[in-house]
Amino acid sequence: MNNISRSNDVPNRRDFLWQAGGGLGGLALTAMLARDGELTAAVPIDAGLKTHPAQIYPPKAKYVIQMFMAGAASHLDLFDFKPELVKRHGQPSDFGEPVEAFQNGLGPWLKPIWDFKPYGDCGKMLSDVVAPLGDVVDEMAFVHNVVGKTGIHSQATLLQATGFQLPGFPGAGSWVSYGLGSLNDNLPTFVVLPDHRGLASNGVKNWGSSFLPSQHAGTVIYPGSATPIASLFPHRAATYLDPEGDAATQILLANLNARHAATRSDDPRLNARIRSYELAARMQTAAPEALAFADEPAHVLKLYGLDRGPQTWSKEINAEEETFHFSQKCLTARRMIERGVRFVQIWSGNDNGFPRRNWDSHEDVARDHGPLATGMARGAAALIQDLKQRGLLDETLILWTTEFGRMPSSQGGKGRDHNPYVFTNWLCGGRVRGGTTYGPSDEWGYKPLDRSRPTLVYDLHATALRLLGLEHTQLTWRHNGIDRRLTDVHGRVIEELIA
Amino acid sequence: MPRTFLPVLISLLLARASFAAEPIRFDVDVRPLFAAHCVKCHGPARQEGGLRFDLRSAALRGGDGGPLFVPGKPAESELLRRVASADETERMPPEGERLSANEIDVLRRWIEMGAEWPESEADRGATRDPRLDHWVWKPIARPSAPAVVGAVGLRNEIDHFIAAKLVEKQLTMSPEADALTLIRRLSFDLIGLPPTPEEAAAFVSHDNGSATLPLSPTLAAKASESAYEALVDRLLASPRYGERWARHWLDVVHYGDTHGYDKDKPRPNAWPYRDYVIRAFNDDKPYARFVQEQVAGDVLFPYTRDGNEALGFIAAGPWDFIGHAEVPETKIDGKIARHLDRDDMVGNTLGTFCSVTVQCAQCHNHKFDPITQEDYYSLQAVYAALDRAERQYFADADAMRCFEKLQQEGHELFTRQAAIEAGLRAKIGAPAEALDRRIAAARKVMPGNSRAEFGYHSAVAVTENATKWVQVDLGRSVVIDRIVLRPCYDDFNDIGAGFGFPRRFRVELSNDPEFRGDRTLVVSREESDLPNPGTAAQTWSANGATARYVRVTAVKLAPRKNDFIFALSELQVFDAVGQNAAESGTVTALDSIEAPPRWRKANLVDKINPPDGTGDELTRLRAERDALFDAASDEAMRRERREIRQARDRVAEELKHLQSPDIVYAGTVHRGTGNFAGTSGKPRPIHILARGSVQQPGREVGPGAIAAIEVLASRFALPTDHTEGERRGALARWLTDPKNPLTWRSIVNRVWQYHFGRGLVETADDFGRMGAAPSHAELLDWLAADFRDSGGSLKRLHKQIVMSATYRQASSSAAGEMRQAALDVDADNRLLWRQNRRKLEAEAIHDAVLAVSGKLDLKMGGPGYQDFVIEHPAHSPHYQYDLADPNDAKTWRRAVYRFVARSQTQPWMSSLDCADPSMRVDKRNESASPLQALALLNDGFMIVQSAHYSERVAREAGDDAERQAMRAMQLAVGRDPTDDERRALSVFIGRYGLASGCRAILNLNEFTFVD
Repeated sequence: MNNISRSNDVPNRRDFLWQAGGGLGGLALTAMLARDGELTAAVPIDAGLKTHPAQIYPPKAKYVIQMFMAGAASHLDLFDFKPELVKRHGQPSDFGEPVEAFQNGLGPWLKPIWDFKPYGDCGKMLSDVVAPLGDVVDEMAFVHNVVGKTGIHSQATLLQATGFQLPGFPGAGSWVSYGLGSLNDNLPTFVVLPDHRGLASNGVKNWGSSFLPSQHAGTVIYPGSATPIASLFPHRAATYLDPEGDAATQILLANLNARHAATRSDDPRLNARIRSYELAARMQTAAPEALAFADEPAHVLKLYGLDRGPQTWSKEINAEEETFHFSQKCLTARRMIERGVRFVQIWSGNDNGFPRRNWDSHEDVARDHGPLATGMARGAAALIQDLKQRGLLDETLILWTTEFGRMPSSQGGKGRDHNPYVFTNWLCGGRVRGGTTYGPSDEWGYKPLDRSRPTLVYDLHATALRLLGLEHTQLTWRHNGIDRRLTDVHGRVIEELIA
Repeated sequence: MPRTFLPVLISLLLARASFAAEPIRFDVDVRPLFAAHCVKCHGPARQEGGLRFDLRSAALRGGDGGPLFVPGKPAESELLRRVASADETERMPPEGERLSANEIDVLRRWIEMGAEWPESEADRGATRDPRLDHWVWKPIARPSAPAVVGAVGLRNEIDHFIAAKLVEKQLTMSPEADALTLIRRLSFDLIGLPPTPEEAAAFVSHDNGSATLPLSPTLAAKASESAYEALVDRLLASPRYGERWARHWLDVVHYGDTHGYDKDKPRPNAWPYRDYVIRAFNDDKPYARFVQEQVAGDVLFPYTRDGNEALGFIAAGPWDFIGHAEVPETKIDGKIARHLDRDDMVGNTLGTFCSVTVQCAQCHNHKFDPITQEDYYSLQAVYAALDRAERQYFADADAMRCFEKLQQEGHELFTRQAAIEAGLRAKIGAPAEALDRRIAAARKVMPGNSRAEFGYHSAVAVTENATKWVQVDLGRSVVIDRIVLRPCYDDFNDIGAGFGFPRRFRVELSNDPEFRGDRTLVVSREESDLPNPGTAAQTWSANGATARYVRVTAVKLAPRKNDFIFALSELQVFDAVGQNAAESGTVTALDSIEAPPRWRKANLVDKINPPDGTGDELTRLRAERDALFDAASDEAMRRERREIRQARDRVAEELKHLQSPDIVYAGTVHRGTGNFAGTSGKPRPIHILARGSVQQPGREVGPGAIAAIEVLASRFALPTDHTEGERRGALARWLTDPKNPLTWRSIVNRVWQYHFGRGLVETADDFGRMGAAPSHAELLDWLAADFRDSGGSLKRLHKQIVMSATYRQASSSAAGEMRQAALDVDADNRLLWRQNRRKLEAEAIHDAVLAVSGKLDLKMGGPGYQDFVIEHPAHSPHYQYDLADPNDAKTWRRAVYRFVARSQTQPWMSSLDCADPSMRVDKRNESASPLQALALLNDGFMIVQSAHYSERVAREAGDDAERQAMRAMQLAVGRDPTDDERRALSVFIGRYGLASGCRAILNLNEFTFVD
């Protein structure tokens, strides 16, 4: 869904609608609907939009922003400092046991590509490439002993995104949408902001609703593109339609559908569908407004590094471009949260194509991780500061994750192979205990220091749900004879991470 | 190190033994211990580790990890080791109080004395799993239709079962729906398309010839019985029927046209399976045969087109390309990928045909249903030799017959030859055996790459007349005896052996890395094109020349696809004493594709290359054996062997001349190279995996099915040398056995569900205890038995159902006392006191829009239409729906012919709750969301078809807005608009245009819902 390539199109009516916040069509319709007494009585679309009985704890957080680094970001070069690797750099690696690596990449020990320095009151060591996060490190909680199940991108992505290695399970955001319901009729409950270049492994399977009702599926939004939300406005072929006719269509439909439903009054689906058209009209107004940065003050845009706006970028991967795109998603996420969206998922990196535009740095960590991490750190740090200054950080849980880690050894050159045996996640906000480091990895960053007590994705999901007030073992949906959960049959709330 | 205490502890316990000699009585001393400490987790409710302590036979058999105890040998008994273990992670029970030293001693002595376990009443009582009493495991009954007193209007047996239940609640059926409603309902139900206004008018006027519009609901009171039956027959005979019902089937088997997962590569040959399903429905293939073909068509119906194409079922679901193609089976990740692949095959088979959830038994015995881990892994063993891959066959019957004949002939010739040679072998003895062994060894050296490091690969050139070079620095000047070039092997573009070997080239030596001035020409082949050498090594003498650098210069490149390259697997430089001086050399080149591990400069001297492909050794050995056989034969035998050999050559030649075979993506035996090597037909060993982990394999199991169906043999008794196909044949027979209670109930329930919007069992994929109970258990059994015993005709079943009064009821009956009473006692209509209003599925809406716009292309079969543009096809295809032109007429076919991509599902279809091809879907979700409304209003498909629809209306109704409104409604919802509707629509059309009016009509609730 790479729409960027068409952003040079001549502005058309749809662009106008986006820029004008829904334009005449939306405004006129809202006014007309308001006059129409028959249609003002709200009909609930679905009972699923209420809070689930699994919310048995007082919620600490209301919203989640998940950042997902596709391709597998290196814990060793970003967050998990290993002096031992600096000391042994270039020596043949010795793991003390046979190791299976995806591409057999067990070359010499490779020290972190960037230097590490301490930051904040907590003195957490961070890599130079993520230095902007140093300003907010006292808000962050690092988990260095996350363990995966496989070194295969697709399965690992599904595991972190849905809690299962196989496709066909709802995304974490779908579960949150199902568990918490909607705060806002005008926007979806679960929004996905993919990498602007395309989708990661498994594509839309990472945020599908699967067996949950489809309103819980992630809605894909491409901020800044010509068509940020599919079908929000009529397709470009609709030369016969104008905004007034579009609005009048809604009125006509409401009337004819109401007549049809009147003789079929015991079928709630008919009224639900009528209501869905009304909500669609509202979304046409609300979504462009939520996506426009026009009302953001200059200092906020500057904070995110968005003050220069989109430019013509070099063909090579570069930090400026990464910063722009990642920050654009971060600011969009904040605006979504402010408008009641429950779960926003931000992706960095697309699939495993060439040239490499994700975190799968087999060949050269500096080449890919450099620009990607610079952009990620700038955007994430700005988002944390921005949420904090608005008093939203306590209500918003940020979860940073990836597919798996990377090996402390090189692949013979400047790259690192997959390491599903240990990697790093971090959490922030949402009443997470800031400035903490939980669950160390071993001296190489190869496996957890305490191999008998690793952290699994289930534990992180259980903890996130707990912060939202949800008991993860009770947030279930019966499917094919099994009460399915985000946490499968596992999951332990990590109390140490909760303030 | 707690484990080191264990032997000490055991020897302490053993030491105590000599003091205590009281006899142990099982029922008094041991059974209570088991009951108190073990049975909770290893008993009737749960069988952790496959163990039961409450049941003699099970306890004696042991668990997934092996036997529990060895009578007379406490030290070798796992039971004792675990209860006495000092290691907390091992000790049993894991929670609660541990066994006292006394209790452990009792167990030890019991084992020591022979572990007597007299069978008691308790064992006999425990033999029967109470879960077997669940309805689905019981045989299918054949109840007779109940008599119903006082009910009127019953048409067939179905109605008797339904009415009997209604009478119990003092309810009656609703009246029959009006004729216009019935034809619309039947059309969507049976063929997935709306009736044309003309068809509707003919049906309503009871006149198949000269019906006229208008279509006023008030005029269309009742359908005539003969017209109704004729309509049912016509729709069932329509090819559109198969297209409609195949789509339901494809939901259930999670069919897709791409692999899914990472990269999501296309499966260009998946569609023959989709076409097979459509054909099977249209031909009304008997259901048992339909099932058998999909599991084992190649085995049970060899050489038939259907028997091959049906195997697409096994491969229908997603496939982890990276987990197979980039990771070998020897690695943990490779094992996991293949385990999960079989898991999908097993789940698809048992879920689809039997409506049970066996996949729960992957990690532990099923918690709710009597399905064991052994059952589950026995099912995996059925598919253990298969992979998802392309399978060759001949769709053309003549070619298939010819192919079959040649195969048969070849097989007979081979058998005759083998018989003669067996006699000769017996006569010759040891020398023949020795030769056989050498030939077998030589045959193992297959062409192709045994390793991932292919070689050096130049950059790609657009013309073949480019010059490219690669050279090795030997590190010092060396006296060179000979140079050997070894060609590459790469399946790319089916090139295989000799990949990238230049058409013209030269080899030179020099002491200057730039090859200026002094240089020695070893060989020059620059005058004419050389044939592809295969993987045969190319050797030239250097006559003792001295040089430090060896350079190979290609002056005419090898063709690849639409471009040209230069590739070499290995460059060897042998010195005077036969050492390869290039082994530690440094490689440089004019240019190079560095794509490790396959391609990089360093691969040129890595000692890894495909085996010498001349096959000389094998040919020589075979000739030697032939001579040996000839020497031992008399003249008649020699002649016969010669004739057989000639005949076999002829058969091979004729096979070569058959037209190129057809291909279907199927579950099949794969014979590959590299990581994705397949099995060549030898089933992989399947073990019971503790907790489903490939790192914890337990006992090995053979092929089988679910033991809970006691009337069928659940462990397939196959000869020890059986083929993998026999495993699938056995499963196919198990599935379709008339005594299998699952299969027949499963299918009639599915068919019922698609006719009523809800199955008699609401959970069509789960008949287990976590599923729903049947609303009409007797009707379900009656339908299942009747269907099974009358030959498994689906069309007959459809007709039975749609001819019933139950089916023909109105979905919203007139107000009245009965209706209120019905709403009070059965608001969600489980008892079917009316028909259910149906929301159309994504495909039906898609097809109906095209039918209404007049643009529906009814071309059947073949590759799916692609309503997307593929970007980055080479590596990770992006399926870009927004780049496709909605006005491309190639995409206006029925949606069953859509190319179904998994990673990027069609957004418009998905918003309409289309089945997710990554998961098995027994019933579509039904949602109403703003995004769905936006998709129906604004998607390019709707915008474009609204315009076509308006052109059609203008053509057929002229310029008058009222007449346009009339015609537009007739086409879309199959009735005339009311006066109010006509006025509203014509005013709207007058003001905003006909296309806008048509777009609005396609968004009506009435277009999406069928009464």
